[in-house]
Amino acid sequence: MKSESRLETILRCGHFALTGELGPPRGADPDAVRKKAAHLKGMVDAVNITDNQTAVVRMSSLGACLIAKQEGLEPIYQMVCRDRNRIAMQSDILGAAALGINNLLCLSGDHQKFGDHPGCKKVFDIDSIQLVSMMKTMRDEARFQGGEEITVPPKMFIGAAANPFAEPHAFRVQRLAKKVAAGADFIQTQCVYNMERFRAWLDQARDMGLTENVHILPGITPLKSLGMARYMKNNVPGMDVPDELIKRMQGVEKKDQAREGIAICCEQIQQMQEMKGLAGIHLMAIEWEHRVPEIVTQAGLLPRPEPEQG
Amino acid sequence: MIKAVAKSLEEIKSMITPYRRVLTIGCGGCVSQCLAGGQKEARALNIKLRASAASDSDALFDDITVERQCEQQFLKELDNRISTYDALISIACGAGVQFLAERFPNLPVFPGVNTQFVGITRDIGWYEERCKTCGDCVLGLTAGICPVTMCSKGLFNGPCGGPQDGHCEVDPDTPCAWIAIYERLQAQGRLDSIAEIHPTRNWQNQVPGRILVEEYRARYVENGEKT
Amino acid sequence: MDCNHAEPLNVTAMRETLQQNKKRMSLNLKACAGCSLCAESCFLFELHNHDPQYMPSYKVLHSLGKLYSKRGHITRTQLHDMAGLVWRNCVLCGRCYCPFGIDIPAMIALTRRIMREQNIAGVYPYSLGAPEEETND
Repeated sequence: MKSESRLETILRCGHFALTGELGPPRGADPDAVRKKAAHLKGMVDAVNITDNQTAVVRMSSLGACLIAKQEGLEPIYQMVCRDRNRIAMQSDILGAAALGINNLLCLSGDHQKFGDHPGCKKVFDIDSIQLVSMMKTMRDEARFQGGEEITVPPKMFIGAAANPFAEPHAFRVQRLAKKVAAGADFIQTQCVYNMERFRAWLDQARDMGLTENVHILPGITPLKSLGMARYMKNNVPGMDVPDELIKRMQGVEKKDQAREGIAICCEQIQQMQEMKGLAGIHLMAIEWEHRVPEIVTQAGLLPRPEPEQG
Repeated sequence: MIKAVAKSLEEIKSMITPYRRVLTIGCGGCVSQCLAGGQKEARALNIKLRASAASDSDALFDDITVERQCEQQFLKELDNRISTYDALISIACGAGVQFLAERFPNLPVFPGVNTQFVGITRDIGWYEERCKTCGDCVLGLTAGICPVTMCSKGLFNGPCGGPQDGHCEVDPDTPCAWIAIYERLQAQGRLDSIAEIHPTRNWQNQVPGRILVEEYRARYVENGEKT
Repeated sequence: MDCNHAEPLNVTAMRETLQQNKKRMSLNLKACAGCSLCAESCFLFELHNHDPQYMPSYKVLHSLGKLYSKRGHITRTQLHDMAGLVWRNCVLCGRCYCPFGIDIPAMIALTRRIMREQNIAGVYPYSLGAPEEETND
């Protein structure tokens, strides 16, 4: 074991893991985190706590991770490269480890232009792959990026993101290979709707031997409505929503669209379970956390495993 | 060369409000080439400022252009003319403004342009940023496309997950630098440049820079620094 | 700036500037032995197949040199025609070398200054397609 992460234990035991997502509030209210956490408890194995997503200021991931942990969840500390330099990152990582947080997801981060403070100065002192490398060095060599020794190294389970659908398509699997070489233990992908294209990407990754060296958890986002399906198709960069899904959502009455979306989601989960080389899935029910229990139940993913720690 | 853009007339006027004897100084260097601060622009600005102060009989607004404001030998020309004025507007780049202010430290000096970037001239009136003067050039590895300048996030192991139709998520008119790097390296058969992880860099442009060319070092440095 | 050939020169101002710099410049101008070492140090001379109009000595003798020898008796058109010598044919990089210590950049700079004072502005190769074209004639 590289860390004391519950997620790592579950993956190592060969269970089909399930991770979720929790976006912290735009204020200092801990109950906002607790409410969302309550929906996810017992439903997923670990929860991503997002880091100022879309460059919009929210309660810090570190703070929300601690609250989530107190509520009995296994948090995945998300860290983007946009806002912090390597000093702040290493410092926060030590702080997180000291507070018993065991998972780190390394991301580039959306550009500040998208958020509520577009005039701020970007950092990007290091990029997401360099962050993975840095975390691995801290954990396995007990050394800071600058070379000095760390007295008590942070033992984090390291995650990174992959987007099978972004350009340049031919380079995506090689970039995944770079992340694995840098030290990523697990990979979460952008949400998948086009299963064929995803299968092609996965096949390539498997051919390169990557599925044996890293735990891949593709992202799944349930469609709440036809409007959402259309929005994802037309307005979100890199998102590929096949026409058949739009047709399915169109084919039911408005009041039934949510149910149809969940049905599609469960079918996708089942297809993913049958694919060779996947370690689990990452369920992103954005602002729909209260439907997670229903989805997870319907997909037959309960009860979640309770493996022996250590 | 350095590219700049003229500040708005309103902003310039608001800077010099307390002053009635103002000399606008143009620069024959970079800002001339990008049509922001050359002789033509100095003349045009001065005409506007003079017109605004037309009612004031004590006002004095003049313009003059020197070869370059980043070299003292060309600023020398101004020595005999300066005493007439109580403020200067420099429409040179930021370096020129500062060198001017250094030569005449008792006179308020105001910038008349916003220095934007080091860049290229695509065609007359069309300039594009190319270099952020990071001090540690890696253009050889990235097929001549700068990851610091041309990637909105300055990634060294890009691209991120954001590009859309070959463009940066930030702006549909901005090409994704890393897609461009990938394609050019591919065409040159040099994809191995980006196969390995590019390690964390030590940023070289975090303090005010200085260069002393080796051959001239003895001229300026004895036991201590003389410069 | 477009040249309004009808606009008279400010001959007084020109003569004054020439006079102020006479001591320094006359030495510069007289000392030229035509050794052409300066030409070898000019990259534009190299680039233009050793066209003599790019020799630093040629540039200054036919611009500032003429201004001094004519003592300012010159028309705007004639002055305007010299502009190319000190702007298109020279970028004032300052690398020209003279074994006699003649300060060629200073002469070019002075000529440019005189021209500016007479409302003749720089000639820059604006158009990408034809660098030799003078768009500011």
